[in-house]
Amino acid sequence: MSDKATFDPFDPTGMMKSMRDKGMEAWAKAMTEMVGTDAYSEATGQMLDTWLKTSAPFRDMTQKLISQTLAEVNLPSREDVTRLAERFTNLEMRLDDLDAKFDECLKLLRERVGAE
Amino acid sequence: MSSTNTEANAEGCAGPSISDYCDAAAETVEKFDRFNELLNTNAPIALTPKRCVWSLNKAKLYRYTPVVPEDQLKPVPLLLVFAIMNRPYVLDLRPGHSYVEYMLRHGYDVYLLDWGIPGPEDKDMKFDDYALEYLPRVVRKLKSITGAEEFSMLGWCLGALISTLYAALRPNDGLKNLILLTAPLDFEDKSVGGFVKWVSDPKFNADRIAETFGNVPGEMIDAGAKMLKPVENYFGTYIGLWERLDDPGSTQAWHAMNTWVRDIIPMAGAAYRQLINEFYKENRLMEGTAVIRGEKVDLSKLRAAVLNVIAEADHITPPCQSERIMDKIGGDDHTVLRVRGGHIGIMAGRGAEKNTWPHIDEWLAARST
Repeated sequence: MSDKATFDPFDPTGMMKSMRDKGMEAWAKAMTEMVGTDAYSEATGQMLDTWLKTSAPFRDMTQKLISQTLAEVNLPSREDVTRLAERFTNLEMRLDDLDAKFDECLKLLRERVGAE
Repeated sequence: MSSTNTEANAEGCAGPSISDYCDAAAETVEKFDRFNELLNTNAPIALTPKRCVWSLNKAKLYRYTPVVPEDQLKPVPLLLVFAIMNRPYVLDLRPGHSYVEYMLRHGYDVYLLDWGIPGPEDKDMKFDDYALEYLPRVVRKLKSITGAEEFSMLGWCLGALISTLYAALRPNDGLKNLILLTAPLDFEDKSVGGFVKWVSDPKFNADRIAETFGNVPGEMIDAGAKMLKPVENYFGTYIGLWERLDDPGSTQAWHAMNTWVRDIIPMAGAAYRQLINEFYKENRLMEGTAVIRGEKVDLSKLRAAVLNVIAEADHITPPCQSERIMDKIGGDDHTVLRVRGGHIGIMAGRGAEKNTWPHIDEWLAARST
Protein backbone atom coordinates (compact mmCIF):
# COMPACT_ATOMS: atom_id res chain seq x y z
CA MET A 1 0.00 0.00 0.00
CA SER A 2 2.97 2.28 -0.28
CA ASP A 3 2.80 5.28 -2.52
CA LYS A 4 4.91 4.02 -5.38
CA ALA A 5 3.43 6.22 -8.13
CA THR A 6 4.85 9.66 -8.63
CA PHE A 7 2.47 12.53 -9.29
CA ASP A 8 1.41 12.71 -12.94
CA PRO A 9 -1.51 15.05 -13.78
CA PHE A 10 -2.10 13.25 -17.09
CA ASP A 11 -2.58 9.85 -15.46
CA PRO A 12 -5.96 9.91 -13.69
CA THR A 13 -5.87 6.13 -12.96
CA GLY A 14 -2.49 6.44 -11.28
CA MET A 15 -3.72 9.38 -9.25
CA MET A 16 -6.81 7.45 -8.14
CA LYS A 17 -4.67 4.48 -7.18
CA SER A 18 -2.34 6.71 -5.23
CA MET A 19 -5.32 8.28 -3.45
CA ARG A 20 -6.75 4.84 -2.67
CA ASP A 21 -3.39 3.67 -1.27
CA LYS A 22 -3.11 6.75 0.91
CA GLY A 23 -6.70 6.25 2.10
CA MET A 24 -6.03 2.59 2.92
CA GLU A 25 -2.86 3.48 4.76
CA ALA A 26 -4.68 6.04 6.91
CA TRP A 27 -7.56 3.65 7.52
CA ALA A 28 -5.18 0.81 8.47
CA LYS A 29 -3.34 3.07 10.89
CA ALA A 30 -6.57 4.31 12.46
CA MET A 31 -7.95 0.76 12.85
CA THR A 32 -4.70 -0.59 14.31
CA GLU A 33 -4.72 2.26 16.83
CA MET A 34 -8.39 1.65 17.61
CA VAL A 35 -7.94 -2.07 18.34
CA GLY A 36 -5.05 -1.14 20.63
CA THR A 37 -7.18 1.01 22.95
CA ASP A 38 -8.39 0.05 26.41
CA ALA A 39 -11.97 0.70 25.31
CA TYR A 40 -11.70 -1.85 22.51
CA SER A 41 -10.20 -4.50 24.83
CA GLU A 42 -12.93 -3.90 27.38
CA ALA A 43 -15.73 -3.91 24.81
CA THR A 44 -14.63 -7.13 23.07
CA GLY A 45 -14.01 -8.88 26.40
CA GLN A 46 -17.44 -7.83 27.65
CA MET A 47 -19.28 -8.76 24.43
CA LEU A 48 -17.64 -12.18 24.21
CA ASP A 49 -18.36 -12.95 27.85
CA THR A 50 -21.98 -11.81 27.61
CA TRP A 51 -22.54 -13.92 24.51
CA LEU A 52 -21.01 -17.00 26.13
CA LYS A 53 -23.03 -16.45 29.33
CA THR A 54 -26.37 -15.89 27.64
CA SER A 55 -26.00 -18.71 25.15
CA ALA A 56 -24.94 -21.25 27.79
CA PRO A 57 -28.48 -22.39 28.82
CA PHE A 58 -29.43 -23.02 25.18
CA ARG A 59 -26.23 -24.93 24.55
CA ASP A 60 -26.75 -27.05 27.66
CA MET A 61 -30.33 -27.78 26.64
CA THR A 62 -29.30 -28.81 23.13
CA GLN A 63 -26.53 -31.02 24.45
CA LYS A 64 -28.85 -32.72 26.91
CA LEU A 65 -31.45 -33.31 24.21
CA ILE A 66 -28.89 -34.78 21.82
CA SER A 67 -27.45 -37.05 24.53
CA GLN A 68 -30.94 -38.30 25.45
CA THR A 69 -31.84 -38.92 21.82
CA LEU A 70 -28.61 -40.83 21.17
CA ALA A 71 -29.20 -42.94 24.29
CA GLU A 72 -32.76 -43.70 23.15
CA VAL A 73 -31.56 -45.03 19.81
CA ASN A 74 -28.63 -46.92 21.36
CA LEU A 75 -25.92 -44.78 19.81
CA PRO A 76 -22.79 -43.65 21.63
CA SER A 77 -22.63 -40.00 22.67
CA ARG A 78 -19.65 -37.69 22.21
CA GLU A 79 -18.66 -38.38 25.82
CA ASP A 80 -18.60 -42.13 25.15
CA VAL A 81 -16.37 -41.68 22.08
CA THR A 82 -14.14 -39.24 23.96
CA ARG A 83 -13.67 -41.71 26.82
CA LEU A 84 -12.74 -44.41 24.33
CA ALA A 85 -10.24 -42.11 22.61
CA GLU A 86 -8.66 -41.31 25.98
CA ARG A 87 -8.20 -45.03 26.62
CA PHE A 88 -6.53 -45.41 23.23
CA THR A 89 -4.12 -42.60 24.07
CA ASN A 90 -3.27 -44.30 27.37
CA LEU A 91 -2.62 -47.53 25.51
CA GLU A 92 -0.40 -45.70 23.04
CA MET A 93 1.59 -44.27 25.93
CA ARG A 94 2.09 -47.74 27.36
CA LEU A 95 3.28 -48.92 23.95
CA ASP A 96 5.67 -45.99 23.74
CA ASP A 97 7.03 -46.88 27.19
CA LEU A 98 7.58 -50.45 25.98
CA ASP A 99 9.26 -49.12 22.83
CA ALA A 100 11.60 -47.07 25.03
CA LYS A 101 12.51 -50.14 27.12
CA PHE A 102 13.03 -52.18 23.96
CA ASP A 103 15.34 -49.52 22.52
CA GLU A 104 17.29 -49.47 25.79
CA CYS A 105 17.70 -53.27 25.72
CA LEU A 106 18.90 -53.11 22.11
CA LYS A 107 21.41 -50.41 23.01
CA LEU A 108 22.78 -52.44 25.93
CA LEU A 109 22.97 -55.54 23.77
CA ARG A 110 24.89 -53.67 21.05
CA GLU A 111 27.27 -52.27 23.63
CA ARG A 112 27.90 -55.74 25.08
CA VAL A 113 28.43 -57.27 21.64
CA GLY A 114 30.75 -54.39 20.75
CA ALA A 115 32.74 -54.91 23.98
CA GLU A 116 33.18 -58.63 23.24
CA MET B 1 -6.21 -5.63 -32.89
CA SER B 2 -9.55 -7.04 -34.08
CA SER B 3 -11.10 -6.43 -37.45
CA THR B 4 -13.94 -4.40 -35.88
CA ASN B 5 -11.40 -2.03 -34.44
CA THR B 6 -9.59 -1.68 -37.77
CA GLU B 7 -12.89 -0.88 -39.46
CA ALA B 8 -13.78 1.62 -36.85
CA ASN B 9 -10.45 3.33 -37.15
CA ALA B 10 -10.76 3.32 -40.92
CA GLU B 11 -14.04 5.19 -40.52
CA GLY B 12 -12.13 7.73 -38.54
CA CYS B 13 -13.67 6.99 -35.11
CA ALA B 14 -11.24 7.76 -32.31
CA GLY B 15 -11.03 5.76 -29.05
CA PRO B 16 -11.65 2.14 -28.21
CA SER B 17 -14.15 0.09 -30.17
CA ILE B 18 -16.80 -2.33 -28.86
CA SER B 19 -14.37 -5.14 -29.53
CA ASP B 20 -11.80 -3.52 -27.26
CA TYR B 21 -14.39 -3.30 -24.50
CA CYS B 22 -15.28 -6.96 -25.01
CA ASP B 23 -11.60 -7.93 -24.83
CA ALA B 24 -11.16 -5.92 -21.66
CA ALA B 25 -14.26 -7.51 -20.12
CA ALA B 26 -13.05 -11.00 -21.03
CA GLU B 27 -9.67 -10.20 -19.53
CA THR B 28 -11.28 -9.01 -16.30
CA VAL B 29 -13.45 -12.14 -16.09
CA GLU B 30 -10.35 -14.24 -16.60
CA LYS B 31 -8.60 -12.27 -13.85
CA PHE B 32 -11.55 -12.85 -11.51
CA ASP B 33 -11.39 -16.59 -12.22
CA ARG B 34 -7.70 -16.66 -11.40
CA PHE B 35 -8.29 -14.55 -8.27
CA ASN B 36 -11.08 -16.84 -7.12
CA GLU B 37 -8.95 -19.92 -7.78
CA LEU B 38 -6.10 -18.54 -5.70
CA LEU B 39 -8.47 -17.74 -2.85
CA ASN B 40 -10.28 -21.04 -2.72
CA THR B 41 -7.83 -23.75 -3.73
CA ASN B 42 -4.85 -25.26 -2.00
CA ALA B 43 -1.36 -24.78 -3.37
CA PRO B 44 1.00 -27.76 -3.48
CA ILE B 45 2.89 -27.31 -0.22
CA ALA B 46 4.96 -29.37 2.26
CA LEU B 47 6.38 -31.54 -0.51
CA THR B 48 9.86 -32.28 0.87
CA PRO B 49 10.08 -36.09 1.23
CA LYS B 50 9.69 -37.29 4.81
CA ARG B 51 8.53 -40.28 6.78
CA CYS B 52 6.75 -40.63 10.09
CA VAL B 53 9.09 -42.20 12.65
CA TRP B 54 7.01 -41.85 15.81
CA SER B 55 3.45 -41.02 16.78
CA LEU B 56 1.47 -40.62 19.94
CA ASN B 57 -2.16 -39.58 20.05
CA LYS B 58 -2.32 -36.81 17.39
CA ALA B 59 1.38 -35.94 17.53
CA LYS B 60 3.74 -37.20 14.85
CA LEU B 61 7.49 -36.99 14.45
CA TYR B 62 8.73 -36.81 10.88
CA ARG B 63 12.24 -37.34 9.60
CA TYR B 64 13.03 -35.55 6.35
CA THR B 65 15.03 -37.57 3.86
CA PRO B 66 18.59 -36.23 3.96
CA VAL B 67 19.92 -34.89 0.66
CA VAL B 68 23.61 -35.17 1.49
CA PRO B 69 25.42 -38.52 1.94
CA GLU B 70 25.08 -39.99 5.45
CA ASP B 71 28.76 -39.41 6.24
CA GLN B 72 28.40 -35.70 5.47
CA LEU B 73 25.38 -35.20 7.75
CA LYS B 74 26.00 -32.95 10.72
CA PRO B 75 26.28 -35.15 13.82
CA VAL B 76 23.79 -33.10 15.86
CA PRO B 77 20.21 -33.61 14.59
CA LEU B 78 17.80 -30.69 14.42
CA LEU B 79 14.29 -30.92 15.86
CA LEU B 80 11.70 -28.38 14.69
CA VAL B 81 8.87 -27.59 17.10
CA PHE B 82 6.08 -25.35 15.87
CA ALA B 83 3.11 -23.77 17.65
CA ILE B 84 0.08 -25.79 18.77
CA MET B 85 -2.61 -23.71 17.05
CA ASN B 86 -1.27 -23.71 13.48
CA ARG B 87 0.01 -26.33 11.07
CA PRO B 88 3.80 -26.83 11.14
CA TYR B 89 4.31 -27.16 7.40
CA VAL B 90 4.93 -23.43 7.17
CA LEU B 91 8.51 -24.57 7.78
CA ASP B 92 8.35 -26.49 4.51
CA LEU B 93 6.08 -24.16 2.61
CA ARG B 94 6.81 -24.76 -1.07
CA PRO B 95 9.51 -26.35 -3.20
CA GLY B 96 12.28 -23.86 -3.82
CA HIS B 97 11.26 -21.80 -0.80
CA SER B 98 11.34 -24.06 2.22
CA TYR B 99 13.35 -23.73 5.42
CA VAL B 100 13.44 -27.53 5.77
CA GLU B 101 14.78 -27.88 2.22
CA TYR B 102 17.42 -25.23 2.96
CA MET B 103 18.64 -26.94 6.12
CA LEU B 104 18.70 -30.36 4.41
CA ARG B 105 20.88 -28.88 1.65
CA HIS B 106 23.23 -27.61 4.34
CA GLY B 107 23.71 -31.08 5.75
CA TYR B 108 21.34 -31.17 8.74
CA ASP B 109 19.41 -34.24 9.82
CA VAL B 110 16.01 -32.54 10.17
CA TYR B 111 13.07 -33.77 12.27
CA LEU B 112 9.70 -32.06 12.52
CA LEU B 113 7.25 -32.46 15.38
CA ASP B 114 3.65 -32.05 14.27
CA TRP B 115 1.36 -31.70 17.31
CA GLY B 116 -1.65 -32.63 15.17
CA ILE B 117 -5.23 -31.44 15.47
CA PRO B 118 -6.64 -31.82 18.99
CA GLY B 119 -9.94 -33.67 19.27
CA PRO B 120 -12.56 -33.30 22.03
CA GLU B 121 -10.64 -35.91 24.06
CA ASP B 122 -7.60 -33.58 24.15
CA LYS B 123 -9.37 -30.62 25.73
CA ASP B 124 -7.53 -31.15 29.03
CA MET B 125 -4.07 -31.06 27.49
CA LYS B 126 -1.85 -28.37 28.99
CA PHE B 127 1.63 -27.05 28.40
CA ASP B 128 2.62 -29.54 31.10
CA ASP B 129 1.71 -32.36 28.72
CA TYR B 130 3.38 -30.83 25.69
CA ALA B 131 6.62 -30.00 27.52
CA LEU B 132 6.96 -32.97 29.86
CA GLU B 133 4.94 -35.80 28.35
CA TYR B 134 5.28 -35.49 24.60
CA LEU B 135 8.56 -33.65 24.05
CA PRO B 136 10.71 -35.98 26.23
CA ARG B 137 9.27 -38.98 24.35
CA VAL B 138 10.05 -37.29 21.01
CA VAL B 139 13.60 -36.57 22.16
CA ARG B 140 14.06 -40.16 23.30
CA LYS B 141 12.92 -41.46 19.92
CA LEU B 142 15.06 -38.97 18.03
CA LYS B 143 18.13 -40.00 20.02
CA SER B 144 17.35 -43.67 19.53
CA ILE B 145 17.02 -43.25 15.74
CA THR B 146 20.09 -41.09 15.25
CA GLY B 147 22.28 -42.61 17.95
CA ALA B 148 23.25 -39.05 18.88
CA GLU B 149 23.48 -38.02 22.51
CA GLU B 150 22.98 -34.33 21.72
CA PHE B 151 20.46 -32.50 19.57
CA SER B 152 19.41 -28.99 18.54
CA MET B 153 15.88 -27.69 18.84
CA LEU B 154 14.17 -24.85 17.02
CA GLY B 155 10.95 -23.61 18.62
CA TRP B 156 8.75 -21.11 16.85
CA CYS B 157 6.01 -19.02 18.50
CA LEU B 158 4.26 -21.17 21.14
CA GLY B 159 6.64 -23.93 20.08
CA ALA B 160 9.38 -21.69 21.51
CA LEU B 161 7.49 -21.42 24.79
CA ILE B 162 7.16 -25.22 24.97
CA SER B 163 10.84 -25.62 24.03
CA THR B 164 11.89 -23.14 26.71
CA LEU B 165 9.86 -24.94 29.39
CA TYR B 166 11.38 -28.25 28.34
CA ALA B 167 14.92 -26.87 28.16
CA ALA B 168 14.67 -25.40 31.65
CA LEU B 169 13.05 -28.48 33.18
CA ARG B 170 15.15 -31.16 31.46
CA PRO B 171 18.59 -29.56 31.10
CA ASN B 172 20.35 -32.94 31.10
CA ASP B 173 18.42 -34.50 28.22
CA GLY B 174 21.11 -33.60 25.67
CA LEU B 175 19.78 -30.32 24.31
CA LYS B 176 22.87 -28.64 22.89
CA ASN B 177 21.44 -25.72 20.92
CA LEU B 178 18.13 -23.95 21.31
CA ILE B 179 16.82 -21.58 18.67
CA LEU B 180 13.89 -19.44 19.76
CA LEU B 181 11.91 -17.83 16.97
CA THR B 182 9.53 -14.98 17.81
CA ALA B 183 9.11 -16.47 21.26
CA PRO B 184 6.23 -15.15 23.42
CA LEU B 185 7.77 -15.49 26.87
CA ASP B 186 7.58 -12.18 28.72
CA PHE B 187 4.21 -10.47 29.19
CA GLU B 188 5.16 -7.82 31.71
CA ASP B 189 4.44 -4.90 29.40
CA LYS B 190 0.67 -4.91 28.96
CA SER B 191 0.68 -1.58 27.15
CA VAL B 192 2.43 -2.95 24.09
CA GLY B 193 -0.99 -3.70 22.58
CA GLY B 194 -2.26 -6.71 20.68
CA PHE B 195 -3.08 -10.00 22.38
CA VAL B 196 -1.51 -9.15 25.72
CA LYS B 197 -3.67 -6.04 26.05
CA TRP B 198 -6.87 -7.77 24.98
CA VAL B 199 -6.55 -10.83 27.18
CA SER B 200 -5.30 -8.90 30.21
CA ASP B 201 -8.55 -6.99 30.44
CA PRO B 202 -10.45 -8.26 33.52
CA LYS B 203 -13.53 -8.77 31.34
CA PHE B 204 -11.73 -11.29 29.12
CA ASN B 205 -12.68 -14.65 30.59
CA ALA B 206 -10.48 -17.45 29.21
CA ASP B 207 -12.03 -19.97 31.62
CA ARG B 208 -15.49 -19.41 30.20
CA ILE B 209 -14.20 -19.71 26.62
CA ALA B 210 -12.50 -23.04 27.39
CA GLU B 211 -15.52 -24.31 29.35
CA THR B 212 -17.88 -23.39 26.54
CA PHE B 213 -15.97 -24.78 23.60
CA GLY B 214 -13.79 -27.50 25.09
CA ASN B 215 -11.13 -26.81 22.50
CA VAL B 216 -10.94 -23.19 21.40
CA PRO B 217 -12.09 -23.03 17.76
CA GLY B 218 -9.41 -22.20 15.20
CA GLU B 219 -11.73 -19.63 13.64
CA MET B 220 -11.76 -17.70 16.90
CA ILE B 221 -7.96 -17.67 17.20
CA ASP B 222 -7.64 -16.79 13.52
CA ALA B 223 -10.09 -13.88 13.85
CA GLY B 224 -8.15 -12.62 16.87
CA ALA B 225 -4.87 -12.71 14.97
CA LYS B 226 -6.41 -10.98 11.98
CA MET B 227 -8.01 -8.27 14.10
CA LEU B 228 -4.56 -7.14 15.23
CA LYS B 229 -4.23 -5.56 11.77
CA PRO B 230 -7.76 -5.65 10.42
CA VAL B 231 -7.40 -3.54 7.29
CA GLU B 232 -4.25 -5.29 6.09
CA ASN B 233 -5.65 -8.78 6.78
CA TYR B 234 -9.21 -8.34 5.57
CA PHE B 235 -8.63 -5.96 2.63
CA GLY B 236 -5.00 -5.12 1.91
CA THR B 237 -3.87 -8.65 1.21
CA TYR B 238 -6.61 -9.19 -1.40
CA ILE B 239 -6.05 -5.83 -3.08
CA GLY B 240 -2.35 -6.64 -3.23
CA LEU B 241 -3.09 -10.02 -4.77
CA TRP B 242 -5.37 -8.47 -7.40
CA GLU B 243 -2.66 -6.06 -8.43
CA ARG B 244 0.00 -8.76 -8.65
CA LEU B 245 -2.08 -11.32 -10.54
CA ASP B 246 0.15 -11.02 -13.59
CA ASP B 247 3.28 -11.86 -11.60
CA PRO B 248 3.42 -15.69 -11.34
CA GLY B 249 6.22 -15.72 -8.74
CA SER B 250 4.34 -13.41 -6.46
CA THR B 251 0.98 -15.15 -6.81
CA GLN B 252 2.59 -18.54 -6.23
CA ALA B 253 4.05 -17.29 -2.94
CA TRP B 254 0.72 -15.73 -1.94
CA HIS B 255 -1.19 -18.91 -2.81
CA ALA B 256 1.12 -21.09 -0.71
CA MET B 257 0.89 -18.73 2.26
CA ASN B 258 -2.90 -18.46 1.92
CA THR B 259 -3.16 -22.24 1.87
CA TRP B 260 -1.36 -22.32 5.21
CA VAL B 261 -3.36 -19.41 6.66
CA ARG B 262 -6.69 -21.06 5.72
CA ASP B 263 -5.71 -24.34 7.38
CA ILE B 264 -6.78 -23.36 10.86
CA ILE B 265 -6.98 -25.79 13.78
CA PRO B 266 -8.41 -25.59 17.29
CA MET B 267 -6.29 -25.21 20.41
CA ALA B 268 -6.64 -27.55 23.38
CA GLY B 269 -8.90 -25.77 25.90
CA ALA B 270 -6.72 -26.34 28.99
CA ALA B 271 -3.60 -25.14 27.17
CA TYR B 272 -5.46 -22.00 26.07
CA ARG B 273 -6.65 -21.32 29.60
CA GLN B 274 -3.12 -21.84 30.94
CA LEU B 275 -1.59 -19.63 28.26
CA ILE B 276 -3.93 -16.73 29.00
CA ASN B 277 -4.15 -17.00 32.77
CA GLU B 278 -0.68 -18.17 33.81
CA PHE B 279 1.52 -16.76 31.09
CA TYR B 280 -0.22 -13.72 29.54
CA LYS B 281 -1.99 -12.39 32.65
CA GLU B 282 0.36 -13.47 35.47
CA ASN B 283 3.64 -13.63 33.51
CA ARG B 284 4.63 -16.66 35.59
CA LEU B 285 7.55 -17.77 33.42
CA MET B 286 9.44 -14.52 33.83
CA GLU B 287 8.32 -14.01 37.43
CA GLY B 288 9.78 -17.42 38.29
CA THR B 289 6.46 -18.73 39.58
CA ALA B 290 5.59 -21.11 36.74
CA VAL B 291 5.03 -24.66 37.91
CA ILE B 292 4.80 -27.45 35.36
CA ARG B 293 3.68 -30.86 36.61
CA GLY B 294 4.70 -29.87 40.11
CA GLU B 295 8.16 -28.72 39.02
CA LYS B 296 9.14 -25.08 39.34
CA VAL B 297 10.47 -23.67 36.07
CA ASP B 298 13.88 -22.18 36.82
CA LEU B 299 15.17 -20.49 33.68
CA SER B 300 18.71 -20.33 35.07
CA LYS B 301 18.83 -24.12 34.65
CA LEU B 302 18.55 -23.72 30.87
CA ARG B 303 22.16 -24.30 29.84
CA ALA B 304 21.95 -24.93 26.08
CA ALA B 305 23.45 -22.42 23.66
CA VAL B 306 20.60 -20.06 22.74
CA LEU B 307 19.92 -18.12 19.55
CA ASN B 308 16.99 -15.78 20.08
CA VAL B 309 15.54 -14.63 16.75
CA ILE B 310 13.39 -11.52 17.11
CA ALA B 311 11.21 -10.09 14.34
CA GLU B 312 11.37 -6.32 14.57
CA ALA B 313 7.93 -5.73 13.05
CA ASP B 314 6.17 -8.56 14.88
CA HIS B 315 2.66 -7.53 15.97
CA ILE B 316 1.76 -11.00 17.31
CA THR B 317 4.82 -11.38 19.53
CA PRO B 318 6.24 -7.85 19.93
CA PRO B 319 10.05 -7.86 20.43
CA CYS B 320 9.72 -6.92 24.12
CA GLN B 321 8.09 -10.32 24.76
CA SER B 322 11.23 -12.15 23.62
CA GLU B 323 14.06 -9.95 24.83
CA ARG B 324 14.27 -10.28 28.62
CA ILE B 325 14.65 -14.08 28.60
CA MET B 326 18.33 -13.63 27.74
CA ASP B 327 19.01 -12.13 31.19
CA LYS B 328 17.29 -15.00 32.97
CA ILE B 329 18.68 -18.13 31.33
CA GLY B 330 21.80 -19.98 32.40
CA GLY B 331 24.75 -20.96 30.22
CA ASP B 332 27.11 -18.50 28.60
CA ASP B 333 26.50 -18.88 24.87
CA HIS B 334 23.66 -16.47 24.09
CA THR B 335 23.03 -14.69 20.79
CA VAL B 336 20.24 -12.37 19.74
CA LEU B 337 19.41 -12.01 16.07
CA ARG B 338 17.11 -9.18 15.06
CA VAL B 339 15.50 -9.54 11.66
CA ARG B 340 13.40 -7.00 9.80
CA GLY B 341 9.98 -8.51 9.23
CA GLY B 342 6.89 -9.92 10.86
CA HIS B 343 5.98 -12.97 12.93
CA ILE B 344 5.72 -15.39 10.01
CA GLY B 345 7.44 -13.36 7.30
CA ILE B 346 10.94 -13.67 8.79
CA MET B 347 10.88 -17.45 8.21
CA ALA B 348 8.40 -17.95 5.40
CA GLY B 349 8.46 -14.63 3.56
CA ARG B 350 10.29 -14.00 0.32
CA GLY B 351 13.27 -12.41 2.08
CA ALA B 352 13.79 -15.29 4.54
CA GLU B 353 16.31 -17.10 2.37
CA LYS B 354 18.57 -14.04 2.46
CA ASN B 355 17.84 -12.41 5.79
CA THR B 356 17.10 -15.21 8.26
CA TRP B 357 17.99 -18.74 7.19
CA PRO B 358 21.71 -18.16 6.48
CA HIS B 359 22.19 -16.53 9.90
CA ILE B 360 20.51 -19.45 11.68
CA ASP B 361 22.58 -21.90 9.64
CA GLU B 362 25.81 -20.03 10.37
CA TRP B 363 25.11 -19.97 14.11
CA LEU B 364 23.97 -23.59 14.23
CA ALA B 365 26.67 -25.02 11.96
CA ALA B 366 29.37 -23.72 14.31
CA ARG B 367 27.67 -25.58 17.17
CA SER B 368 26.67 -28.78 15.38
CA THR B 369 30.03 -30.52 15.49
